[in-house]
Amino acid sequence: MSKENMIELRNLSFQYKDQKDGKALEKVNLTISKGEFVLVMGPSGAGKSTMAKCLNGLVPHFNRGEYSGEVIVNGFVVKDTPVSTMAKEIGLVFQDFESQLFSTNTKLEIAFGPENFQVPRDEIHSRILEMFDLVDLHGMENRQPSTLSGGQKQRLAIGSILSTYPKIVCMDEPTTDLDPLGKIGIFNIANKLHAAEDVTLIIIEHETEESLNADRLILMQEGKIILDGKPSDVLREVELMADLGIMPLQIPKYFLENFGTSKTELPLMPEEGIAKFKELGASLDEQQHQSLIQMDMDREKAYGDVLIEVSGLEHIYPNGNKALAGIDFSVRDGEFVALLGHNGSGKTTMVKHFNGLLMPTAGKVMVKGQNTKETSIFEVGQHVGYVFQNPDHQIFSDTVYEEVAFSPKIRGCDQEEIDIRVKEALAAVGMSGTEEEDPFSMTKGERQRIAVASVLSARPDVIILDEPTTGLDYREQRQMMELVKKLNRNGHTIIMITHTMWVVSEYAHKVAVIKDGKMMMYGTTREVFSHDEELAKSFLKTPDIVHMSNLLGKTVLSVDELKQCTKGV
Amino acid sequence: MEMFLYLDNDTFLHRLDPRTKMLVMLATFVVALMFYSLNTLLILSAVVLIYGLVGKTLSNLKRIRFILLMIFLFSVVLWSLTYGGEPKLLGPISLEGILYGIVIGIKFDIMIIAGMIFLSSTKVEEISLGLVKIKVPYRGAFAFATAIRMVPMIVATSYTISQAQRSRGLDLDSGNLVERAKKYIPLLIPTIISVIRGTNVFAMALESKGFGYSEDRTNYLQISIKKGDLLVIFMALVVIAISVYYRFII
Amino acid sequence: MKEIFSMWKDTKMVVLVALSAGIYAAVLIPFKGFVLIPGITEFRPASALPVVLGLLFGPAGAWGAAIGNLIGDFFGSLGIGSTFGFVGNFLFAYVPYKLWRNLGLVSKEDMEPNLKSSKQIIAYIVVSILGSAACALFIGWGLEILGMVPFAALASIITLNNSIPSIILGMPLLIVLYPRIKKWDLLWTDIIPEADVPAITAKSRTGAVVMVAFILVGLVGGLIAAVGGGQALLYSGFASTAGDALVGIIAGIGSIGVLVAGFMQ
Repeated sequence: MSKENMIELRNLSFQYKDQKDGKALEKVNLTISKGEFVLVMGPSGAGKSTMAKCLNGLVPHFNRGEYSGEVIVNGFVVKDTPVSTMAKEIGLVFQDFESQLFSTNTKLEIAFGPENFQVPRDEIHSRILEMFDLVDLHGMENRQPSTLSGGQKQRLAIGSILSTYPKIVCMDEPTTDLDPLGKIGIFNIANKLHAAEDVTLIIIEHETEESLNADRLILMQEGKIILDGKPSDVLREVELMADLGIMPLQIPKYFLENFGTSKTELPLMPEEGIAKFKELGASLDEQQHQSLIQMDMDREKAYGDVLIEVSGLEHIYPNGNKALAGIDFSVRDGEFVALLGHNGSGKTTMVKHFNGLLMPTAGKVMVKGQNTKETSIFEVGQHVGYVFQNPDHQIFSDTVYEEVAFSPKIRGCDQEEIDIRVKEALAAVGMSGTEEEDPFSMTKGERQRIAVASVLSARPDVIILDEPTTGLDYREQRQMMELVKKLNRNGHTIIMITHTMWVVSEYAHKVAVIKDGKMMMYGTTREVFSHDEELAKSFLKTPDIVHMSNLLGKTVLSVDELKQCTKGV
Repeated sequence: MEMFLYLDNDTFLHRLDPRTKMLVMLATFVVALMFYSLNTLLILSAVVLIYGLVGKTLSNLKRIRFILLMIFLFSVVLWSLTYGGEPKLLGPISLEGILYGIVIGIKFDIMIIAGMIFLSSTKVEEISLGLVKIKVPYRGAFAFATAIRMVPMIVATSYTISQAQRSRGLDLDSGNLVERAKKYIPLLIPTIISVIRGTNVFAMALESKGFGYSEDRTNYLQISIKKGDLLVIFMALVVIAISVYYRFII
Repeated sequence: MKEIFSMWKDTKMVVLVALSAGIYAAVLIPFKGFVLIPGITEFRPASALPVVLGLLFGPAGAWGAAIGNLIGDFFGSLGIGSTFGFVGNFLFAYVPYKLWRNLGLVSKEDMEPNLKSSKQIIAYIVVSILGSAACALFIGWGLEILGMVPFAALASIITLNNSIPSIILGMPLLIVLYPRIKKWDLLWTDIIPEADVPAITAKSRTGAVVMVAFILVGLVGGLIAAVGGGQALLYSGFASTAGDALVGIIAGIGSIGVLVAGFMQ
């Protein structure tokens, strides 16, 4: 089968103007044919985004640097073609959807590209109708993009690119900032585009699980293509993926580690896993499983006093939106609770009551025995620290020291005490010795740590973390969560909002699921995660390994736990 | 305070050409500026309010009521203290001064209301297109429209940032003026950084959608001077003419 | 001066105009209720921004300050005076970055505004006061000839209201912002093509001196004439009325002179 080449990279190398170590891309050769759906994965800094920008000429026209080799897209030599001309051939969708919407009305947003290309008005009109259909935004005509949910915004951004009828669509981490429901919407569009045959689709993604639909999966590291093949083959390279810092699928990992199953035989999905499990004659050890449950119970008994007690909590925003409708909830000393639920479910509103940022419309919130209504955020903030989702929303100093010292300073500590606390907080997040560095020049993972340290320096009992792993790659996510686990072991109570299900299953002790301002499920992680179907109602999907164990009738939370419980062979 | 004023209704006012509405706004300024008579200003106020009522825009008055009230109160206070005049009521305060303050207060409030009505009934893209039609270069009009659109988003970001900093113990309400001013730094820096950080993606996304492909572009949105516009333009011009006649010729 | 027109070719500069304007307006609006002169001006911590935006983003910062102020006007000071506010706020950012380059306060090798030397700090203070004064002069003149507010009161209040935040808040802002903006390649001198960055020449240096002279002549001369004509400074000035012909002429010469001097740089 020889298809027309749509994209050709020949010996492409690029080094950014002020890049010191190595190159962003090094001698990359790649050919993509018309109609292919290619997925690109790799850790941060692997050169994925740079490669995407090379396709429409943002590199080297926009990001300057040293460029060699050649990129040919649909016959155009990209280096010699203006970006705005390339835009007709290839549409680029970015992770940050806020920065790629320019209009106050969804229809006009979709019209923007065709307007620039001087498409006749009637034609634009019909394209708008078509796009609302394609990206599934019916009923959103004439809405202001700013009033849409994250997932809808990203779909609109995709629609606004597709409306120029590009022959190639390239999406750079389109789902990273989205909740599970939002992610599904994007994958649906990808599948529709793929079915349309004449569109060539390239997606840069972290989500391993959704990669099976692609024609090809490319793994990158340090500016090079490491592996390029059929997704089902590439995904079986469990060890290679782990080495690269990409999360391997759990099912093949389990079979490889537990049974030493050969590469070609590795199952990928839970259902295949069950079949293989039975074929191998394995079973689950009841005693081992009971000991896991016993450990959960022992942990439960070891918790200390109630630190936060919420009763009948209701919150109605000034615009009349009822965000919380009667929540009863308590957190004891030493717990590690994960809050799940899609965006807009009310979970952030709920935790903002815990440190006094919001006051209940009805009901009450007691922190360490004190009603938050009768104290101030300054005082509650001593006990309950809050790490916001985006570290850039709180970092303002030009040295790490100043940033971490902000809280103790404002709380009147003397210099000696401040020094001690800064040192202690930085040690806790594994960033000792960075006092004089500039937080803004650090990676997102490091900035996230600094943000945690700057909350730790107030020595709170409880730490609230809002999506601490969003936007980090697998290795950074692991590091972040190991840090949170350590903080919990050292006596901090943790309340964490997240959408990343494997993080919850491997780290959280307890889980609360919020939907429409109500608490739908609450219990130990094992209990809650045993209910696949109920979780699905809140658009939550258990990690593969949990799902597989549920199908086998006993809930385990990680590959290691399943290995521990596996009997036979 | 919610700063995106546009109200998505379909009224006579909304359907008017943005250029017509700009002229009405300008006429309001001219008339308000020329007269110091309370009666004239009250008539002008009534006309402007009816105009706003036609577009169902007056619900936005409550969003800017604090500003309108402060401007009115300050006018009365400032002018009654400094105007002099007769008869003296208390210290430097005179009846004339108070009346003058009321006149000035109404004068400024009505100009702001006229601006509010314009923004409440005109889409950002219509403003941009209207500016292009009166020969403002497209890129300038785009920047202006984008800035208007960005304001509420920036305010929302700064609100999140202020929550993050208050969680860390920042208290904006204590200290003397200089200390308080300095407390805005933990808010201003992350706000500016967060907004400016998006510049590169913003510009890349623009070029990726063909911004700059050609000097000319299609306008999906269409504006045109229709019969209703002609009527309103005619009335605005008559009002300006009559005002000029009374103010300068009689 | 040609860069203020040629910059529009560059998408990044267009975006920076929009974002600068958005930030300026967003910080202006919440304080619109803190009225200083009803319908004219208010307590403005946002005044810290134009100088900083001008030094970092050059012409984009100047357009941003002008547009941002106009948007802010919709929330408390809209009117014919807004046209003068537009130009005045343009100057508030434009004058500082022009004088920074051309007045010789900082050496050619150390021109990027990092505020790391005492020389740069002094230069920053000087250009922010002159930028504030240029803005005050132009707006004061405009509203004087429109007969709205007496020059002596308005120009003195705006000068203070602009320069105090520019110095107290603007300096720490610039110190932290500069390295980030530099790192993201967003300094205006890094964005626009080298050929479009105006060279520092004898003519541009003369232009800078002329600019300072006109700012001082216009503002100080205007104030002297106004006080001579019976106006008083600051709030006492409201007891008099605007419309003094001599003040209008002197402040007018200063204002037009500043614009002309802008063309020389």
